[in-house]
Amino acid sequence: MKNKLNKIKEEFYQVIEKARSEKELQDIELKFLSRKGLLSETLKGLKDLGQESKKEIGMLANSIKKELIGKFDNVKKVVKEKETEKLVGDLSLPGKEFPQGHLNPITLIQNELEDIFTSLGFMVEDGPELESDYYNFTSLNVPPLHPARDMQDTFYIDKKNDKGENKLLLRTQTSSVQVRALLKHGAPLKVVAPGRVFRNEATDARHEHTFYQFEGMMVGENINFSNLKKLLEIVGKKLFGENTKLRMRPKFYPFVEPGNNGEYTCFLCKGEGCKVCKGSGWLEIVGAGLVHPDVLRAGGIDPEKYSGLAFGFGLTRLAMLKYNINDVRLFNNGDIRFLEQF
Amino acid sequence: MYISLNILKDFVKIPKNVDYKEIANNLTQHTVEVEGFFAEGEKFKNVVVGKVLSVEKHPNADKLNVAEVDVKKEKLQIVCGASNLEKGQLVPVSLVGAILPGDFEIKEAEIRGVKSFGMICAEDELGLGEGHEGIMVLDSKAKIGNNFADYLGLDDIVFEIDNKSLSNRPDLLNHFGIARELSAIFNWELKEIDEFIVDTESNDSLNSLNIKNNTKENCLRYNAIKIDNISVGESPQWLKNRLLALYQKPVNNIVDLTNYIMFEIGQPLHAFDGDIVDKIVVRQAKENEKIKTLDEKERILDENDIVITNSETPLAVAGIMGGVDSGVNSKTKSIILESANFKDYVVRKTSQKLNLRTEASLRYEKSLDPELTMTALKRFVFLIKKINEEAEISSSITDLYSNKFEESEINLNYKWLNDKIGQEIDKKDILNYLEKLGFKIKKQNEESFVVVVPSWRANKDIKIKEDVLEEILRLYGYDNVNSKLPYEELVLPKINNEKKIERNIKNILSLKHSLFEVYNYSFVGEDQLKKMNVDYLNHLKLANPLSGVQSILRQSLVPNLIVNIKNNQAKENNFGFFEIGNVFYQNPGNIEQGGDEKENLPFQESKVAFSLTGESEEKLFSEIKGMVNSLIKNISNKNIDASFYPLEEEMGWKGSMAVSVFVKGVRIGFISNLKEEVVNNFNLKKKSLFTELNFNTLFSISEKYKHKYFVEPSKFPSVERDLAFVINKDLLYNDISNEILNFSELITKVKLFDVYQGDKLNEDEKSLAFHISFSSKEKTLLASEVDSLLKELTEKLKENFNAKLRDF
Repeated sequence: MKNKLNKIKEEFYQVIEKARSEKELQDIELKFLSRKGLLSETLKGLKDLGQESKKEIGMLANSIKKELIGKFDNVKKVVKEKETEKLVGDLSLPGKEFPQGHLNPITLIQNELEDIFTSLGFMVEDGPELESDYYNFTSLNVPPLHPARDMQDTFYIDKKNDKGENKLLLRTQTSSVQVRALLKHGAPLKVVAPGRVFRNEATDARHEHTFYQFEGMMVGENINFSNLKKLLEIVGKKLFGENTKLRMRPKFYPFVEPGNNGEYTCFLCKGEGCKVCKGSGWLEIVGAGLVHPDVLRAGGIDPEKYSGLAFGFGLTRLAMLKYNINDVRLFNNGDIRFLEQF
Repeated sequence: MYISLNILKDFVKIPKNVDYKEIANNLTQHTVEVEGFFAEGEKFKNVVVGKVLSVEKHPNADKLNVAEVDVKKEKLQIVCGASNLEKGQLVPVSLVGAILPGDFEIKEAEIRGVKSFGMICAEDELGLGEGHEGIMVLDSKAKIGNNFADYLGLDDIVFEIDNKSLSNRPDLLNHFGIARELSAIFNWELKEIDEFIVDTESNDSLNSLNIKNNTKENCLRYNAIKIDNISVGESPQWLKNRLLALYQKPVNNIVDLTNYIMFEIGQPLHAFDGDIVDKIVVRQAKENEKIKTLDEKERILDENDIVITNSETPLAVAGIMGGVDSGVNSKTKSIILESANFKDYVVRKTSQKLNLRTEASLRYEKSLDPELTMTALKRFVFLIKKINEEAEISSSITDLYSNKFEESEINLNYKWLNDKIGQEIDKKDILNYLEKLGFKIKKQNEESFVVVVPSWRANKDIKIKEDVLEEILRLYGYDNVNSKLPYEELVLPKINNEKKIERNIKNILSLKHSLFEVYNYSFVGEDQLKKMNVDYLNHLKLANPLSGVQSILRQSLVPNLIVNIKNNQAKENNFGFFEIGNVFYQNPGNIEQGGDEKENLPFQESKVAFSLTGESEEKLFSEIKGMVNSLIKNISNKNIDASFYPLEEEMGWKGSMAVSVFVKGVRIGFISNLKEEVVNNFNLKKKSLFTELNFNTLFSISEKYKHKYFVEPSKFPSVERDLAFVINKDLLYNDISNEILNFSELITKVKLFDVYQGDKLNEDEKSLAFHISFSSKEKTLLASEVDSLLKELTEKLKENFNAKLRDF
């Protein structure tokens, strides 16, 4: 038996030294080392041996097995390296492919805006998505029966208060964070609040019931319209490049006075007029204004002492413009073919 | 809303050579968004005057004719069904390419085997009226080949204004309001409204009308006058043209005139037949009271609606539409003209309820100036004389006006204005802007002044000094304001660490673990939850969902991740999703509702969930546990590990691999596969594992263990030993590994490197193989010390877990 084992070892060394390819190695492994290979077959004879020689031969067998496996692995490594070297002749071959992860484009654009504002000393605040009628409407100068409530179709929660009214809703705007932030932090205050908002409208390529906004507010002793304008100009330049211009015109929002919207020169055509800006050269992206004194009061701030500016960007709209996305539903439907591009 | 340049010219002096684009741009920049403007003639592009040269019967259709029509450039063959078609007529011809009202494009056609190159048009087809009795026959002044628009004398320029941008400016829902804005923007001269109305007051020697207002809080003013000797007929061409420019179909001279005045100055008017209506009572409707409105539909009213009645029968739904029985018809000889003001939200509610929006309700619901009703009535009297010379006033003017409009004043201070704008605006300009807009300036000095708010702005629009500031600023031009950053004290900003960790988690899961970030809806459906054996009854529901599949607020992010997997399983083999999002519960949380509400908002919190999909559940289970652990390490310090304990009870959708995830004794969430039946219910083709972690708990762990501190490695070499223990298969790795780690302080690291279950062991056994590191800070450990420690350890494990050392 001892001889048999040594012979196997000898034979093994003869072939292993000549092995040059993975195929040859596979054959060697099968012949010598596999479960039905020469070594294993030989060791089956162990059981017929006496106690003493069983132990001796057993140890020998184990050490030979270990040795052969070690040798085999070494040769395999060398062979493999050589085979790879052959390929390296073509230096243009691609490298190893690593899997990629993907952030939703809304996250990307939100991060970009957050970074601009935190660099200016703004804090990032959050507010509940399931919001009260008070913070979403009443405190923002939209009393019951105000026609502005018709402008937004609201999802209400099926839960009535003790007067039998539906006062719980899914927030229709991130402006709902304004009064909460004022009550929590007081003045002076610089805050932005990104988040998910809801409108009860049927979805199609241009309409979504779930989308994303980015609210901002600054309250201080001497905040004025000129400050608002500069701030929005800075954002435009950061988002779309140094030559971006801002244009403002009147627009009604109940919680600001004066109220306006802001358009930036189209980043694609630089104001010449193209498909993205529908030929106008301008993109309407932000609503803004000076905070209405009623809103400051609701936030416990004296409007005679403090004033504020506020603005809201449509994150979804920004992402659509910036990344050339033509269907608003893509953001929320988890299609890998969409997500893998970001 | 359409605005006609011709009508504007009546009210404001517009220079002859003005560029219309400038008007549109300036209105947009200073007042309201103008969506576009066009020459009125463009409406009839490719519609020309033609002469019928011959008419022959269609060979294959009895009711059709084939005409040859001369349009000067060419002679066209046109198939026509009108019975009044005759040789020699001058007719409007829509050429191939013309687009008629209703986006109807004229194309070359073959009708029953005969080719037709255009259409000879009837009135209604051109949007000129209701007539469809036959083709329009033009008079002799029509010139063959000329544009039909020229024949009609359509020379207007029409601006289209976005109605939504007018929601807070009811004073602009008419031409006079826009004219006033133009006069302020361009400093053009605005004409006095007095030029356009009869200047006589009510003639009290005439009979007064029998009118009562029984709902004074909702009918704020009611003016009426009776006019006899009316002859109802077609409107004169000038009136028709002006209405056509605004896309209004002429009806008859009386209705046209009421409409026209509404478009001119914004006050809806209604004419009742004076021989049918002898008495008017304005009141709240009764429950189930019925009226057939002018559109021939029966409307059912209730106590919330305002009606005009003859005390018994409803004659009109106030502010929305008249009744069919009391309105003007071709035989009407006498009218009672109503010019009234109704409460905005009452009209809005009724209009919404009846699903009936009219030009009148559109204006009332935005709140109108009560001072305007008398002006409009007098404008009607002024104009009726021009189209019905014999018309005769036969009553005094009724004016039920109990809550008279009271002028309001606002104090303003130049310094305050300039501070809010951020730069100085010339005092003269400020006052000029306001006066042009109709404000009266009072008590003026160097520092301050008082303005009287005009009635048409006083209602809802202008109440406080900030409102006046906006008027000044927008006329000055937002674009003319200098921009500068705020000047403020430098303070350290407050940093929101939760947001920081959230972003960190997103980056780890996407960039490190290659997952796709999804944003799923906050809604789930009843069926979806049923398929997961989840009780949907304890979920919050929407009162007004868009659809059944999105009617419930989610309590977990997993249901929608399953949908993501299902939607992508055909396209990909191995993939993972993650979402950070909010879930909602019925019980109150810790955020207050504000206002009068005592109860807090329903509890809502943020979850971090992810899924892995592939072929082998075992492999995915191991991977997802590894990812959770890696996530924990990356948001805290590297010494923190997650541990996994089987869930006490398998519930709902959770399958055989359901475990709770703990960090430092705190439960942070769970990991699980799906039960087989759930896999089948969703028709999933691959295996998936899910984890859902509580964001707030993750955040507090990250805060608690965020400090990283260096421990100097031992100067002495460590001793490594590999040991495998055979234990009962139901015992947990956690217990054994903790026992080993806590056994001696010389044991510094315990790492599992193999798990075995199979032939070589009994059926109820498994083997766990550990790589154990021993090290001391004081000395080099001797092999004998380590061996004796190991011996003790083995005994301890035998004692506590009946563990055997495994012999290979």
